[in-house]
Amino acid sequence: MTFLLCLSVAVEEANPVMASAPIAPYNSSPLGNSSSQNASRESLKMEPLADVAVLPGEERVIDKEIIYICPFNSAVKGKVSITNYRLYFKNTDSETPVTLNVPLGVINRVEKMGGASSRGENSYGLEITCKDMRNLRFALKQEGHSRRDIFEILFKYAFPLSHGMQLFAFLSQEKYEENGWNVYEPLEEYRRQGLPNSEWRVTFINKNYELCDTYPTILVVPYKATDEDLRRVATFRSRCRIPVLSWFHKENHAVITRCSQPLVGMSGKRNKDDERYLDVIREANGTTKLTIYDARPNVNAVANKATGGGYEGDDAYQNAELVFLDIHNIHVMRESLKKLKDIVYPNVEESHWLSSLESTHWLEHIKLVLSGAIQVADKVSSGSSVMVHCSDGWDRTAQLTSLSMLMLDSYYRTLGGFQVLLEKEWIGFGHKFASRIGHGDKNHADQDRSPIFLQFIDCVWQMTKQFPTAFEFNERLLVVILDHLYSCRFGTFLYNCESARESNNVRVKTVSLWSLINSDTSLYINPFYTPESSRVLYPVASMRHLELWVTYYIRWNPRIQHQQQSPVEQRYKELLALRDQYLKKLEELQLSDSAPSSTHLTNSSTPNAATPNQHITHLQTPF
Amino acid sequence: MFSGKQTKATFKSYLPPLQTDSKKSPQLPIKKLEAKLLPGEIVVNEANFVKKCISTESCQDGLWGKLVCTNFKVSFIPHNSLPLQRFQCTHRLLGEHDISLACVEQVVTVNDVKGKQKILGSNQKLKFNPTELVLYCKDFRIIRFRFDEAGPESAKKVCLAIAHYSHPADPQLLFGFEYVGKRYHGSTDETVNGVDPGGGLQTPLFDCSSDWDREIKRTGASEWRVCTINQGYFISPSLPEFFVVPVSLADQDLKQYACCFYSQRIPLWCWNHSSGSALVRMSNISDPLQQRKVEQRISSAIIKSHPLRSDVFKSDLDKNLPNIQDIQTALLKLRQICVIEPFEESEEKWLSSLDSSRWMEYVRTFLKHAVDVVYMLESRHVSVILLEKEDRDLSCVISCLVQLMCDPHCRSLHGFQGLIQKEWVMAGHRFLDRCNHLKKSDKEESPVFLLFLDCVWQLWNQYPAAFEFTEVYLTVLGDSMWVPVFSTFLFNCPRQRAEHSRDFASSKSIHLGQDQALRFPSVWDWSQQFSLKDQTLFNNPLYVGKIATCVQNGTVKTFTHRRSKKNYSSTVRGLPSAMRNGSLGPNDTLTRRNSLMLRLRSDLSQVREQQETPSERFIRDWFSRPVDLQALLLPQLLPSHLSVWKLYFLRWVPEAQIPQGGPITAFHKLSLLTDEIETLQSQLRQYNGAGCTPNNPHTEHSKMYFKVTSTPHQSPAPPEYLSSSFPFSPMGNLCRPGILGTPLSKFLNGAKIWLSTETLANETI
Repeated sequence: MTFLLCLSVAVEEANPVMASAPIAPYNSSPLGNSSSQNASRESLKMEPLADVAVLPGEERVIDKEIIYICPFNSAVKGKVSITNYRLYFKNTDSETPVTLNVPLGVINRVEKMGGASSRGENSYGLEITCKDMRNLRFALKQEGHSRRDIFEILFKYAFPLSHGMQLFAFLSQEKYEENGWNVYEPLEEYRRQGLPNSEWRVTFINKNYELCDTYPTILVVPYKATDEDLRRVATFRSRCRIPVLSWFHKENHAVITRCSQPLVGMSGKRNKDDERYLDVIREANGTTKLTIYDARPNVNAVANKATGGGYEGDDAYQNAELVFLDIHNIHVMRESLKKLKDIVYPNVEESHWLSSLESTHWLEHIKLVLSGAIQVADKVSSGSSVMVHCSDGWDRTAQLTSLSMLMLDSYYRTLGGFQVLLEKEWIGFGHKFASRIGHGDKNHADQDRSPIFLQFIDCVWQMTKQFPTAFEFNERLLVVILDHLYSCRFGTFLYNCESARESNNVRVKTVSLWSLINSDTSLYINPFYTPESSRVLYPVASMRHLELWVTYYIRWNPRIQHQQQSPVEQRYKELLALRDQYLKKLEELQLSDSAPSSTHLTNSSTPNAATPNQHITHLQTPF
Repeated sequence: MFSGKQTKATFKSYLPPLQTDSKKSPQLPIKKLEAKLLPGEIVVNEANFVKKCISTESCQDGLWGKLVCTNFKVSFIPHNSLPLQRFQCTHRLLGEHDISLACVEQVVTVNDVKGKQKILGSNQKLKFNPTELVLYCKDFRIIRFRFDEAGPESAKKVCLAIAHYSHPADPQLLFGFEYVGKRYHGSTDETVNGVDPGGGLQTPLFDCSSDWDREIKRTGASEWRVCTINQGYFISPSLPEFFVVPVSLADQDLKQYACCFYSQRIPLWCWNHSSGSALVRMSNISDPLQQRKVEQRISSAIIKSHPLRSDVFKSDLDKNLPNIQDIQTALLKLRQICVIEPFEESEEKWLSSLDSSRWMEYVRTFLKHAVDVVYMLESRHVSVILLEKEDRDLSCVISCLVQLMCDPHCRSLHGFQGLIQKEWVMAGHRFLDRCNHLKKSDKEESPVFLLFLDCVWQLWNQYPAAFEFTEVYLTVLGDSMWVPVFSTFLFNCPRQRAEHSRDFASSKSIHLGQDQALRFPSVWDWSQQFSLKDQTLFNNPLYVGKIATCVQNGTVKTFTHRRSKKNYSSTVRGLPSAMRNGSLGPNDTLTRRNSLMLRLRSDLSQVREQQETPSERFIRDWFSRPVDLQALLLPQLLPSHLSVWKLYFLRWVPEAQIPQGGPITAFHKLSLLTDEIETLQSQLRQYNGAGCTPNNPHTEHSKMYFKVTSTPHQSPAPPEYLSSSFPFSPMGNLCRPGILGTPLSKFLNGAKIWLSTETLANETI
């Protein structure tokens, strides 16, 4: 019992959602033991919630006897506790523990199931649809409206914004050694890229979000473009999202710029300022033709003309080349993920799995996004500047720019650099996290919701699979990021843009996810990482290599082993420890008989023995 | 990062070092082009000024050279060693541009001017002068030669020769006979040509009773004995001379029962579980009148050999598994989508095409069936009989998979090789027919062994640290089937080998000396094919047994028997009461068997059973515990958790290659670490053991292919020549007719899509 307590607490600290597999034994991992002292420290400090330690600022709202209808194990009797942060269930009916630990932010939808007069066992209860590829069903006693209170509480706390309440991130009192809000300083990042320089300048024109309310305050634009030019260009770009620099190639000075679609409309409007502005971008490094990557399928771009949008026509932009990347819109992606969920939860579709997987088109979309990013990266590394946009420039555009930057710039493949990449291209440039995820909002059918960011993380995962030594971070980081994308425990992924975050004082009132990550980075380090500064990574965007990320999408199935770490990764760490142990032993031996042994060794003619000292010294240095 | 010296020391097996400086040799054409011949190998025909197509962007013109057909291989000797073509292949029997005739699946001649095409067989006529020769290979390569500058007659002749010699009329025309025979002629020294089938190898061949004795001891099968009644193959033509039977069956009984079985195949013992349950394989009983009686006698003998007198469970493989034709059809479809269909065009439907090939489904079915058998042995403690009509195909796969899952010894290199010896070679898997070496009967051809290797790969892929070998090893083992010199893959059964090699020796008046028959090399003598350095690619740096082995000074960790009472009581708990006494009622067996079949069927028809079956619970329980790599291993059977064996099936596909990527890059890093650990170990040993064999060559020889050589201020980046195809290279090995050379850059917008002039010409066909 004590062990269990420690275990769940310890895992909670590391990763609350990941660890909440439906059945506790699957959580068992060496990790649980290693941090158990931590756990006891925590549990002393906090009021225990059944078996799990609550977070600072977390408060219990209701406890209730309930039956969990586990899709794998049939009905499990137990007790559910709901706090302002999570739903926690623990069984009471058998010795083998069954627990659920679900942050309320993950909940997409709560529904009543059956009525007071429904027949059949366990037909009266609640059905909870989650954003992280699982559903939960609970049954209650039919007499006395037993579910009314729990339903109402769950509904209220899962969707606080719909009830005039605050998201948990604003209530959390968590403290970390590291302050994650400091990981990204725009000016510092631009300086790292070698900016500003004679071609590109930093502008503060948007410091009060007057030019564009969904852009960050600090922008990098062509040196030759005046602030007045920028204002005029803004009138011709959807939501004033003008082309600005995302990334600068230090050697060939080619750039990735991003923006929204031009406001061409049905009549085919033109804007001299916009045309000149694009030419200025092109001229900055002497690119002969500026390549404009329109992420959309051609037809979609045309269709957008009806609503005032459109694309850059050949006539108007003679020094540009337009390429459509055929990536579908947010609605298509949402439906695709829905289909994927259908075939993996609760059970994996066993007959014709591959055909079923194909029919979801999920991997096909991944392929299109990746191959779009490859094209961008290839263009830029060949010395040509590019511009990327879709309709508004905050979904597909963010995917393409950040992925191509990940391919081009090894800095973004480090643990810190990846955080900068997300802060810059996604959070800073206004990917609408609030609308796409629907944080704290009851409107589950909102057409604005879409798994665009998940799709991006999936693309990153595909790259880490193809290049296992190229990334400093591991799969676990990606899973934790996705878990907290929904959890609302951290401020990182809240709100749609920087201006909204600023007016809500997010940096002051909430904790950053990077505070959690950077306070214990060892969990997220890929042991195979080999830094290579100048290498451009071109993943193979082919169905032959793209795989379903089973450790994320199929992780709730208890028939699958839940490994905290990939076995190869784990083994590598064991070998590292063994190596260090040998080194230590050898060092001791050398110290104990330094003089006589060296003569002995020089006498023996083996090459290894001849140079033991050399070996020892240089073997030690890298670590 | 790499000094010039290191470039030299890099990989040489299939891939060239990228930075070579051989451009300074334009005076090459004077050089005489000669095929490198093996003992017994003769040149049959040749053509000059032939162009080999190379599908890569940088050498548009392909390679010019001489095409030679010998009685062993199709050899191409290039004129110019272009920098990228400068392979230093250390395959000891086949050069970089060589294809063994046994590997050639189809010989296609094309005349693109006349728009004609013909698939050539043996002794055929060709009415047009070929401009092009396409060789479709069994290992998924497609090799193309152009005859634009070659003499039309010599081109035709060499094509006909290749077609003829790749269809040998008789087993004794397979090159292995000449090769081995010649070695008897030439040398009089004692080692007989270095062919050493048993000695020097740690792999038991199971061709003598002592190997079986050791296996009986190792698995604690005390109630089983080696039977010698088939010496001289007098009882059964397809059984080995030595095999293992229950102690309670006397030779006399066996002789009597033998005639009831298909091909007189007396049931064979395969392996004993630590609980005492046996795994036995058996062919159908051909005599229906005797069936009941014989079956009962065999069963009761097996029961008697069980320490708990547990019952026997019969697993009918023919009913539950795809047959050999199904497997062959699946592979053909798989090949179609992997290498024949244009890459880009097949992308969209890749997953559903893969699905409809059914290959992955079959892999899964075999693994699943093996798990069901494991459940019977491991959890129900009953002995299992694998029942197959001939007992020579499906049983080989299942018995091996069961042992791989249960017995960690089989996951070591020598354990694995011994397993294949025991369950495939000695049990009489018809390699000659299944490989279709004589290209006689397509009906008999079936990649059962490849399917088995794929199943092993799935296990390996899920538990890479549990195996001593790597996926390169598995791939190379599969390829070795097409090098027709190894006794392992040349024959249908031990008797056939004995007969053919005796006949051949007498017809060629070869003096065999002490040998009974020609001694063919075994594939397990890897030095026949690879240098010691290249063989280190087989060693898995993750293998857990490895460290223990090193520390314990070379002693191989063996399978430990857990026969304690405690063990039994903890596992017997869930059994029906009847089982505890060791006497399982007939009804009980029946229900078990039905439910097993029901599960397989329900699986196909998508009927989901609400109630968890005992075997499902067994699997779930196992997965709920931490994995012990030195104990039972069960594969994850969800289709989402099985993958395509990319190294084997996609290694030649240029578009699918991940340059400087793929699992090999992590493997490289692991190897370096393991190498470092080995170095430290040997240093520690020198400290500890003072004068104790400091010059032992074994300790000096690193087991790792990649070694710590550079100044390790920083861990070195993966070498540039690594790719997901490593150690193989798509270059020149996959030229699809018509769409030659779709380079990787097709994905990259703006990069020029290279089309050679000849591709354009071909499109008019």
